[in-house]
Amino acid sequence: MRSVTLGHYLPGNSFLHKLDPRIKLSSLLLLIIALFLIKTFWGFILFALFILAVFISSQLPWRYFLRGLKPILYIIVFTLFLHFLFTKGGKVYLRLGAITVEEAGVYLGAFMTLRLALLVITTILITLTTSPMSFADGIEFLLRPFRRLGIPGHEIAMMMTIALRFVPTLMEESDKIRKAQMARGADFETGNVFRRARNLVPLLVPLFVSAFRRADELAIAMEARCYRGGENRTKLRKLQTAPRDYYAIATACGLVLGIVFSGL
Amino acid sequence: MLIETRDLRHTYMPGTPFQVEALKGISVKIEQGEFVGIIGETGSGKSTFVQHLNGLLRPSSGKILLDGRNPWAGEIKLKKIRSSIALLFQYPEHQLFEETVFKDVAFGPRSLGLEGDELEERVRFGLELTGLDYKFYKDRSPFNLSGGEKRRVAMAGILAMKPEAVILDEPTAGMDPSGRRRLMDQIERFHKEENLTVILVTHNMEEVSRLAKKLYVFSGGQLVLQGTPAEIFKNTALIRKIGLDLPPITDLLHKLKKTGRNIRTDLFTLEEASREILHHYRGG
Repeated sequence: MRSVTLGHYLPGNSFLHKLDPRIKLSSLLLLIIALFLIKTFWGFILFALFILAVFISSQLPWRYFLRGLKPILYIIVFTLFLHFLFTKGGKVYLRLGAITVEEAGVYLGAFMTLRLALLVITTILITLTTSPMSFADGIEFLLRPFRRLGIPGHEIAMMMTIALRFVPTLMEESDKIRKAQMARGADFETGNVFRRARNLVPLLVPLFVSAFRRADELAIAMEARCYRGGENRTKLRKLQTAPRDYYAIATACGLVLGIVFSGL
Repeated sequence: MLIETRDLRHTYMPGTPFQVEALKGISVKIEQGEFVGIIGETGSGKSTFVQHLNGLLRPSSGKILLDGRNPWAGEIKLKKIRSSIALLFQYPEHQLFEETVFKDVAFGPRSLGLEGDELEERVRFGLELTGLDYKFYKDRSPFNLSGGEKRRVAMAGILAMKPEAVILDEPTAGMDPSGRRRLMDQIERFHKEENLTVILVTHNMEEVSRLAKKLYVFSGGQLVLQGTPAEIFKNTALIRKIGLDLPPITDLLHKLKKTGRNIRTDLFTLEEASREILHHYRGG
């Protein structure tokens, strides 16, 4: 495996790790709302300081954290670039022939970039500290009110758990098949786009075959254990809130309200 | 081709909390035409090690030299070493992907630039070496074959490239005894007829001690023992300590010796051992 998945769970024992997943997910939702309500740079600075404090308390290795951000760097740079080029208005900072970079573009570009970066950082912070299992438990609970509308919360959570469970397995599998085909002279690295796409066939066919085989085996294993969906199912690990959970959700609410009323 | 490693080290996912040091300085020298065995517990670094030998993994430090040339310093092309040192992974039947057996076996040789009659000849060569009838199998879908047949098709795909060396990672895992025997006999024959280097990674002590002239024993990413099977299995205590065991027949000889009989214990085949036991009981 060459790279670790974006936001791969890191076990730990910090405040953030111990938070109830329901609280964590609701707080995350509140923080995202807050992020979209922010209107000034001061708001972003306040928000960033808050996230920094949470990050420090989480005891995550910063190097690992930053590496997780690398894939989204391109999107951020791309956003900045588009705004610089196409948002017009205000003073002209730079003129290269027909291309101009103007005040509104720089302003909006920086604004959007900050929002995007903080959005991803906040989300990664949560996924890095929440195990896939408790994540699914949290989702299942939060989807419960929607059951009347016909949304099967338990089934969605189960699908999520299974999907997350199989990400590393399939990555390992694709790595293995890739190597096996490379040992037979397959070439995945050179040629133009079309050639490369065609060269992926020896990788994709066995990968799909094995994914279907695994899905089949899993289904049989689940049925052999009499699994039949969410009806009347009890849990091995019951979610329980502690005082820290109330502090956390109160802080998140406070942040949203603070931002709305102070007009930051 | 002379395969040599010098103080080879490999670390998975360096710089992350998942960092694992899988190989801690391995130095070996494997001559053309040798039949060597690599044994060790699951997770001892065997598979990581063999993936270095044909350039699938890049060493974190140390060197791999093929006929004295270092592929990672650009002294020999990776593509060239991958075709002359073939690697068959565990459960190779999972790598089949083409519509017909012919096309799948032809994948390797075709990537070497072969076409037409020459390609057909190679496919026939590979299939027949693994004991599959060319006419009968060539137009079948590899997905409709039995497990054993699939594995032989995968093996044929490797041999059709006419490599100088093959690395087999647990080639007989999950096969029935007769299939296992047949496969190993074919490998041995190919080894003798074509002067092929064979590097066999396995948990089957009986198989490896019968076939290999030299064994490398891995434990915890280190090479703890190397030598002929007789030299290796003398160290009964160490072998057991690192999670391996003696070949069953050798184990029996050791047990007989423990009862106070003066019997040889450095034998690994059923024939030799039964001769020794008969000799001992009739003669002594």
